[in-house]
Amino acid sequence: MEHTVNYLVCIPLLPLAGAFVLGMMHMFTCKNPLPEKLYSFLAMLGPLGSLIFTLIVFATLREMPAESRYLTQDLFTWFSAGDLHVDMGLFADPLSTLFLLFVTFIGSLIHIYSIGYMAGEENYGKYFAYFNLFLGSMLILVLGSGPVVMFIGWEAVGLCSYLLISFYTKERDNVLAGNKAFIVNRVGDLGFVLGVAVLFWGLHSSLGGAGFDYLNIKASAATLTGGAGLAVCLLLFIGATGKSAQIPLYVWLPDAMAGPTPVSALIHAATMVTAGVYMVARFSFLYASFPLAGDVVAWVGILTALLAAIIGCFQRDIKKILAYSTVSQLGYMFAGVGVAAYSAGIFHVFTHSFFKALLFLGAGSVIYALHHEQDIWKMGGLKKKMPLTWIVMVVGALALAGFPPFAGFFSKDEILFMALAKGHWMIWLIGVCVAGLTAFYSFRLIFLVFHGEPRDQKSYEKAHEPPPVMTIPLIILAIGATFAGFFNLPAFFAGDSMVSTWLAPSLLEHHSEASRITEGVAMVLSIAVVLLGIFYAWKKFAFKPEDKPLIGFAKWAEDKFYVDEFYDAFIVQPWIAFGRTISNFIEPNIVDLPAQGTAWLYGVLGMLFKVFQAGYVRVYAIYMVIGLSLMSIFLSQSL
Amino acid sequence: MFESALTVMIFLPIVAGALILLCPAKGAARITGFFVSLIVLMMGVQLFIDFDGQAGMQFVYNTPWIPSLGINFGLGVDGISLLVLLTSAVLFPLVFCVLKEQSRAFYANLLLCQGAMLGAICATDLVVFYIFWEIMLVPIFFTIGIYGGPRRLPATLKITIYTIAGSLLMLVGIIYVANCYHQQFGVWTFDMARLSGLSLSGGFAGWAFLMFMIAFAIKIPIFPFHTWLPDAYTEAPPATSFVLSAIMAKIGVYGMIRFVLPFFAPEFISWATFFLFLGIIGMIYCGIAAIGQKDIKRMLAFSSASHMGVIAIGVCAMNVQSLTGSLFQIAAHATSTGVLFLFVGLMEERLKTRNIDALGGLAYRAPIFATFFAVAMLASVGLPGTSGFIGEFLIILGTVKYSMFLGLLTGFTLIVGVCYMLWMFQRVFYEKESETSAHFTDLTVGEAFSFLPVMIIIFVMGIFPQLFISKIEPAVQQQIAQLYAPAQQQVVANEISVTDK
Amino acid sequence: MIEDYLVLSVILFCIGILGVISRRNVFTVLMSIELMLNAANLAFVAFARLNETMDGQILAMMVIAVAAAEAALGLAVIILLHRQKGRLDSNVFSLLKG
Repeated sequence: MEHTVNYLVCIPLLPLAGAFVLGMMHMFTCKNPLPEKLYSFLAMLGPLGSLIFTLIVFATLREMPAESRYLTQDLFTWFSAGDLHVDMGLFADPLSTLFLLFVTFIGSLIHIYSIGYMAGEENYGKYFAYFNLFLGSMLILVLGSGPVVMFIGWEAVGLCSYLLISFYTKERDNVLAGNKAFIVNRVGDLGFVLGVAVLFWGLHSSLGGAGFDYLNIKASAATLTGGAGLAVCLLLFIGATGKSAQIPLYVWLPDAMAGPTPVSALIHAATMVTAGVYMVARFSFLYASFPLAGDVVAWVGILTALLAAIIGCFQRDIKKILAYSTVSQLGYMFAGVGVAAYSAGIFHVFTHSFFKALLFLGAGSVIYALHHEQDIWKMGGLKKKMPLTWIVMVVGALALAGFPPFAGFFSKDEILFMALAKGHWMIWLIGVCVAGLTAFYSFRLIFLVFHGEPRDQKSYEKAHEPPPVMTIPLIILAIGATFAGFFNLPAFFAGDSMVSTWLAPSLLEHHSEASRITEGVAMVLSIAVVLLGIFYAWKKFAFKPEDKPLIGFAKWAEDKFYVDEFYDAFIVQPWIAFGRTISNFIEPNIVDLPAQGTAWLYGVLGMLFKVFQAGYVRVYAIYMVIGLSLMSIFLSQSL
Repeated sequence: MFESALTVMIFLPIVAGALILLCPAKGAARITGFFVSLIVLMMGVQLFIDFDGQAGMQFVYNTPWIPSLGINFGLGVDGISLLVLLTSAVLFPLVFCVLKEQSRAFYANLLLCQGAMLGAICATDLVVFYIFWEIMLVPIFFTIGIYGGPRRLPATLKITIYTIAGSLLMLVGIIYVANCYHQQFGVWTFDMARLSGLSLSGGFAGWAFLMFMIAFAIKIPIFPFHTWLPDAYTEAPPATSFVLSAIMAKIGVYGMIRFVLPFFAPEFISWATFFLFLGIIGMIYCGIAAIGQKDIKRMLAFSSASHMGVIAIGVCAMNVQSLTGSLFQIAAHATSTGVLFLFVGLMEERLKTRNIDALGGLAYRAPIFATFFAVAMLASVGLPGTSGFIGEFLIILGTVKYSMFLGLLTGFTLIVGVCYMLWMFQRVFYEKESETSAHFTDLTVGEAFSFLPVMIIIFVMGIFPQLFISKIEPAVQQQIAQLYAPAQQQVVANEISVTDK
Repeated sequence: MIEDYLVLSVILFCIGILGVISRRNVFTVLMSIELMLNAANLAFVAFARLNETMDGQILAMMVIAVAAAEAALGLAVIILLHRQKGRLDSNVFSLLKG
């Protein structure tokens, strides 16, 4: 079976080339921009081209026998020093192909949506250049043949995220949010790099100078000793917490909403933030052999899910609610991969990318219609003005809440059930509670935005449906959010778990069987909790909601439990203060002391000896006479 | 004399520097200087292409100079010096292209500086190295002292006295090493290859080791010997800051690898952790100090010191990966932080200020400048795909092998750099346009084309680093093998070579 | 006898030194230096006579030549100094004062 192909490189290269061309065009025509149609056309070429190549890859892989389903392309030796040998190569197996499929598909849809959303904006060309750059980087991340190549994409998506969050650069807060995202991600990247380093030194004797890529790592992974293996898993997971916004590094994601809404949809909901889950699944062969690391992942995930869901219930900003919801759903995914239910976690990534992109784009349409109003307490009653947006948002919310038969139901329930089946009943319990909270906050959003009476009459009057270039992607995503769940219909519903079967060769997964009755009870229970959440939201917000100031715990939750303030007070401010102290005090007064001390010593000696320098010629003559006399005496003595 | 390209590369700039003083006008001096450096560049590239990674010392030129003391005028290039040589040959034309015109003496000094640096890099004889090492300082003294900023005099004195103090210590060390060889074999020699086998340790060798180390630590600079650096880098004219940070500091690292490692292998191994720790402290300390700066140039000075700390860490971790990383980073750092100094020079020329608070919104008026600056900045924070990543990654990887804990600390370079750089970028290029920034104009076509090659180099080094690493890696392997080899064998090998002659 | 010549030479030399040290007029100082040179000459010639070689004579001739050059140069310097400060008091010239 021939595994080497030569077209894999086109998948990331097309958007990258698009980014280059668009960027150049924008840079040289800033003063009098080119027509937007030209940019839109060029920007679409890359994502669509990648989508086509992805479909080719998918078709090729399907032809192969399941156990050896992968394609590779070696480009060149990236670098090699000593035993370390890193090839610049690409690697497509079922796992990365699944990612490729939804990244290019949703990426293309959001490109189309952006054409409408960004129309008339300044820096239109720059936006699409960054967008294409992001897509290319994300595809490198997914396609990289080894952890180091993956790291190119890993960092480059972080860069694009930074550039796009701070896209409206004139506002200081936006840039600060961008900086925060980049820096917090860098903290995670430190973990990633160290993890890769420890992994390499753990394996370097068994690798024996072979390429440091997934295939070789997997082949020699058995030689990794306990301590090193655990360290690798935990360090890599630190990287994942940065990129995928988990405790303690989740703080950047809510702030990242400063960027344009399609950016939030693509980068901060559907694709980039799931990179951490991808990475853990990619290293499933390690996490599976170190269950302790898996437990840490699962617990961090489920606690993040709980925390973010609680915070999400009390937010006012429509995008912040969705951002916390993303953090919370990412927590589910980590809970899934943590309990070694890798395919369930990845499947949730897949469905989540549909309904969360849908929700963000729907929210984008609302924001667009209301001229950048984001406070849900100033909306209301929009159902009449924007019926289509209302329908798709309800579909998205149902999918997010996990109501059958929408996409979220199957994937989330799979995770919860697997947690239960593998004996993590606490995680299951918390997960069910989070499901209730999720239903509550997503319907709180729907009711406050679309139902009841308009609370801001003026902007309500002007609201209207967005143009078709924006609504068509919404409809497509709504269809996806409705039916994506059926791709992985579990055996309980007489399905054949298509996605899990497809992913099986990439992941090291042991299926635990639990009785059908348990599965059924668990499912009914979670549906009941979801209904309860929706009902409570309906009762509280559908009719005459009151916007009264929150008190007590709710106030705490609205203020995000002051985590940002805590980080600011204990990390950021001391850091800056230390920097100032160094340049104002330590540097001139302490570190420079030896140098200044030496200078001072010479000064004092000079003061002492200058007494002898009278400046009169005859005084020097006296010194000479004295010197000569002493020398003569000395000489005559010694003779 | 002319059979080796190296002699031409070294003496062409020196002679041209003297002749330039005779030029009738500043412009002519600049153009002459530019073409001379262009010739050196082409020779450097040709030399790089011809260089064979496996072949050890190449392009050797050796002629007796002071036979009674065994001093030869010896030149040569091997994998250790290749990238330093390439950096100083290739990046030099930039300083003649972009900044505003200075007097003839300025260009003469720059050329002298280039010649001396190339000489120090290529020298295979300790005395020749020492002489070029000292000559290097002379043009720096003049360019900072005459063409520098308002506080140039204290800065000049500080750098000069600091470096000379270090150099004199090194001179004592050099004489000691040669004397040891003389006592053992009865022959005077300052030839590096023959002295390398000594692997001195114990007794006075410990002091001699420290003398060498302090000389190089001052030049690099390693914490706490860095205090000359912020003043000198800030007060120096941009071209000199560029030369200092991009090339001269690297010669300190190069000297450490070339001389200290082989001469004092046992001492170095026992002191490595200490110096590695100093490197980490310097990296973090200077990184934090950079945050507190208001002057961009001073910030870059601290940033440069922080990066040099990382490079020093790579040397002290003493394995193939980290040392390769350090040598690679030497070149990569010149393309990023070095070039940033030139960018700031341009900025100062146009706006007459370097105060971060007075700037803002430059990106709107000058998209090309902002893009170039951003590329160099991202390379300096080590984004994969740019030149900065490979070196940093290899250094961290190597340090993790040396010690997990120290590797973790070294990894902080990823975070430290990005903090001050992004914050500075935000305040200078983003936010609302300040009054001062309104006078800014974008790069001219000429300037853009001068910087374009560097931008290309940044990406080439990030994407095809193997072009460079394949040429230096064998030499690094050998250096590391020699470091850990028992001293006895080396001495025997040397004895044989002595009796042969 | 040789001692007499040497004693005379020493006396001349000491007068010269005293002149250099004690007099403030630059002109007098120069003359005192000439006196010291001649004291040395006397000693050279005396030793030449004693040893019956020509070395001392030759050296004395050399010293006379140097003294002539020095006198010419010194006088020129004194004139320049006088032009600058208008005085010949050696206390005025104290640029070397620390």
